[in-house]
Amino acid sequence: MQDSWRLITTWGTTPEFNMGLDEALLLEGDQPTLRLYTWSPDALSLGWFQKTSEVSGIGSASSTVRRLTGGGAIHHEGELTFSLCCPQTHPLYRGPVGPSYARIHGAVILALRQIGLPARLRGEGSLTSDDPASGMCFHHSTPLDVEWNGRKGVGSAQRRKGGRVLHHGSIKVTSTPLEGNIATFEQATESHTAQSFAPLLLDHMRQHLGLRLVPGVPSPEERERAAELGARYTTDEWVHQR
Amino acid sequence: MRPDDRRYATSHEWAKIDGDSVIVGITDFAVDELCNGNEGDLVYCDLPEVGRLVEAGETFGEIESVKAVSDLQAPISGEIIEINPVIEDHLQVLAEDTWGKGWMVRIKATAPNIDHMMDAATYEGHISAPH
Repeated sequence: MQDSWRLITTWGTTPEFNMGLDEALLLEGDQPTLRLYTWSPDALSLGWFQKTSEVSGIGSASSTVRRLTGGGAIHHEGELTFSLCCPQTHPLYRGPVGPSYARIHGAVILALRQIGLPARLRGEGSLTSDDPASGMCFHHSTPLDVEWNGRKGVGSAQRRKGGRVLHHGSIKVTSTPLEGNIATFEQATESHTAQSFAPLLLDHMRQHLGLRLVPGVPSPEERERAAELGARYTTDEWVHQR
Repeated sequence: MRPDDRRYATSHEWAKIDGDSVIVGITDFAVDELCNGNEGDLVYCDLPEVGRLVEAGETFGEIESVKAVSDLQAPISGEIIEINPVIEDHLQVLAEDTWGKGWMVRIKATAPNIDHMMDAATYEGHISAPH
C-alpha cells in the first residue's frame, strides 16, 4: 500500500518563506509533506549549531539564514532543495537516524544515476571535496553522504522535535564560488536544471520509497504561520545567535 | 534491563529522584538512535542556564549528532538548578555512562513526583513495540 504525502513545489521563493514554511510544517503539519524548492534571492544557510565565525563565506551571499537543521553551511544557489516533514514514527524515519538517511539517499542516488552521474553513498574514506575549515556542508563528508567522482553532491540534515522530523536536502546542479570543487550536474550525460530534474527525483521517491505524492499547496493557516516564523530567519538576532 | 531506580519518558529522557531534586538524562536508546552506536557522531549539546524555569514537555536543550539535531524535553516542571559541566566537552559520556555520569540537568521540581512516567519494564515495551 502506498503512503500518501502532500507535494508542495515552489520555484524561486524567498529564504524567509522557505525556512518559515519548513518550520511551520515541523511544528504543526497535519500531513506528511514533501517540498521541492529553489531560492530567490540566493542565500547562505548556517547549520543550527554553527558559529558564524566558523563559516569563512559568511556575508558572501545575497541573504543569510540559520536553518533549524544541523550540519554545515550551504549556499542555496544552483541547486534543487527538498524537505520532508512527517511524524518520527513514520516508517521512513522510525529507528536510528543513520538508516533514515540511507533510505532517502537511495531514491536520490537512483535519480542521479538516471542522468548519467555515478552517484553512490560515500562509505568509508574521504572525498577530494573535503575541506572542513570552510564550514560548508559540501566540504565535509560522512559515510552516508552522496558523492560522485570523489566529491560530495548532496547535502542533508535533520531536525527532530516534538516527535516529528524535518529532513533537508540540497542537490547541487552547479557550483558557486562558496562551494568550489564539489559534485554537480556538470558531469551528467543529460543537461538538467533543478526544475527539469525534479520529476525524475519524484519518480524515484514514488518507486523507491513507496510514496503516493498528491500535489498540493500550503493551507492559509500554514502560509500565515510560515510568514510569522520566517520573518525572523534573516534577522541579525537569529543569524548571529551563535 | 534498564535501571528501575528511575522513570522514563516516551521522548527517551530518564528522570531520577535524588534527594529533594530530580536529575534528568537521555536513555541508551536515544543515544543509539542518534549515533548508531558510534558515540563519536555526537557533536554538540546545548543545555539550559542554571535558574531557568521549565514546564513538563518543554524543550530544555538540544543535542546534535553528525546528521540530526534533536530536542531534549523536560519530563517535569521546575527550576534548573545544576547542569552537568562534563557533557559539553565530553559527549561520549552519554554513551559510556548513560545512567550515571551522563546525567544532563538537575531540576528542583515544582512537584517532585515522577510516577506519571514509565517504569523500566514499560519503557522496554515502549521501545520494542512497533509504532
